[in-house]
Amino acid sequence: MIKKNVTIVNDAGLHARPAAAMVKLASKYESDFYIHMYGYKVNGKSILGVMTLAAEKGAELELELDGEDEEEALEAIVELIDSGFGEVYEEDEQ
Amino acid sequence: MLSGAPGAPGIVIGKASTYKRRLPSVSETFVTDGQIQYQLDEFQQARTKVENELNQILSEQDEANTEELVRMQVEVIKDPELNKQVKQKIIDENLTADAAVDSVFETYLRILKQNQAEDRSVDITDIRDRLIQVLHNYDAHDVAEGAIVIANELSPREVIEFADQGVKGIVMDRGGVNSHAAIIARSMGLPTVLGTQEGTSKITGDDQVVVDGRLGKVIVNPDGDTQERYRKQIDDYQKILRDAKKICQHPNKTKDGISFSLRANIEFVEELEAVEKYCAEGIGLLRTESIYLRNQQFKNVDEQESFYIKMLENTAPHPVVIRLFDAGGDKVLDNSSLEQNPFLGWRGIRMLLDQEELLEQQLKAICKAAAEFKGRVRILIPMVSTIEHISRVRALLDAAQEELSENGVEPDKDIELGIMVEVPNVALQADFFAQHVDFMSIGTNDLTQYLLAVDRGNERISKLYDQRHPAVWKLINRVSQAAQKESIPLSICGELASDPVSACCLVGMGIDDLSMNAAALPAVKKALRSHESSELHELAQNVLDAQTIGHVNELFSNWNSI
Repeated sequence: MIKKNVTIVNDAGLHARPAAAMVKLASKYESDFYIHMYGYKVNGKSILGVMTLAAEKGAELELELDGEDEEEALEAIVELIDSGFGEVYEEDEQ
Repeated sequence: MLSGAPGAPGIVIGKASTYKRRLPSVSETFVTDGQIQYQLDEFQQARTKVENELNQILSEQDEANTEELVRMQVEVIKDPELNKQVKQKIIDENLTADAAVDSVFETYLRILKQNQAEDRSVDITDIRDRLIQVLHNYDAHDVAEGAIVIANELSPREVIEFADQGVKGIVMDRGGVNSHAAIIARSMGLPTVLGTQEGTSKITGDDQVVVDGRLGKVIVNPDGDTQERYRKQIDDYQKILRDAKKICQHPNKTKDGISFSLRANIEFVEELEAVEKYCAEGIGLLRTESIYLRNQQFKNVDEQESFYIKMLENTAPHPVVIRLFDAGGDKVLDNSSLEQNPFLGWRGIRMLLDQEELLEQQLKAICKAAAEFKGRVRILIPMVSTIEHISRVRALLDAAQEELSENGVEPDKDIELGIMVEVPNVALQADFFAQHVDFMSIGTNDLTQYLLAVDRGNERISKLYDQRHPAVWKLINRVSQAAQKESIPLSICGELASDPVSACCLVGMGIDDLSMNAAALPAVKKALRSHESSELHELAQNVLDAQTIGHVNELFSNWNSI
């Protein structure tokens, strides 16, 4: 099992779209994935769980991975979070 | 007749089909231990079915908004915790599958609410409701092809699904023109009237209804004459769509040979195809904010520049009017910094000037792109309300050009700087503002909203929102006169320009540069080409004399736009 702390850097925080991206990525790996935040623990492969964290920009998460491909999975997930998820905002026009 | 807000344009006549999102209630009985396996199987089958439906939608969709929404819903239906908990409820508490689904979703929705993360809860309840529908053997697919769906409110997914099933039109009790469902209906070309408040109580299953999505009207069981009149309008419209290609190849000239320009409002590279298809003379409004907001890498000048270059490459030799980021401040900073009145708040240029780095980067990217396509770029400043806004942007623009020269690139000295006329004070003092800019463009969507003090997204009052209001016309005319006096170009880039009769009226007022959704172009062009300029002028005069929206509507319905 490995653990790593990360900070949410994108302005919109871990809302629907980033959550979907992260869950989708995590589900590609065999390893179990949990997120700890301020005493909560959720399954990182559960979009509903991740969304309930309502992690805003600046929130600190502890990622916990356990399984054969844990190193690989952790690296990919951290990269996604650090990149601000590429796409982060809701559109709103006029 | 029922009135509502125009959700998506087009007219259709058809048989009503009422649709309820949610069936009355879930089972309250408990199952015996022997029936548990059956309930688990039912749940598993419903899950698979809903997931397949969503994947089916995805495979047929390439619209970006829709795709992201549905992808999120796919993750919900696949959610391992959700599935584990529903199964647990069935096994431990002897609940039926529908009751278990309801209860588990309820818990999640409650926590989301507590944690103020409700932004997507409508799309989550939508999945819950669809699962329960499937468990109740209620098939949304029972709606007949060609029917008009009458519903209280539809989720975006439901709109997509109905469109795929061949539904012709939609009437909803609730919802505003900016709701996600309305945006999807427009992108799918499904005539829609929203916020009728009483559609589901006044219309029953077998009624014949006319949905007029342009004017936001629903006529129930129309008499023979009315039906005839609408059928003719539909035929005309169909004919225009059929002949669109031919119409578009004709020159932009009125019957007596007076020229006008029709351009496209676009936002994405994917829309360039439509610009070409409908022969738009370039881009009259290039929205930049959503690209920026979707992709933080867009802060990168090179990426922005290549976006502008792509737009310029594909629209030669016509102009491209680039509107500076027009977003509310909440999109740039923390989401939590919500304002009480965002439309009257820190947005458009007001926000950009406080976020100078962002503005500098955008101007730099625009200048770099312009240098490669000289003489074609115009910059449009959104939400201007003081002269200082203009002078500050001009100073930053000059600095960006200077920097380009220093780097050995010869800048495009002909970049024009203009303003959106959307705040009423600017419209009233248009003669003064006109002296400080190279061109002006009227954004009728926001101008109407500010002038009539109506939030167009608010369903309770959306009936009061009408861009064809006499006061809007009078103000537009005032701006037009000011532009003529100062000899600067004036264009219209709001929804008003996409309505054929309104377009005739605008040209009649002397505004000959209209920008619209590319798909609206053929109908507008046809209307303008069918009239002498004197007729257009007369229409404009009559409209300027009108005192009420009723007068304007009467004038418009008597005007033969074809």
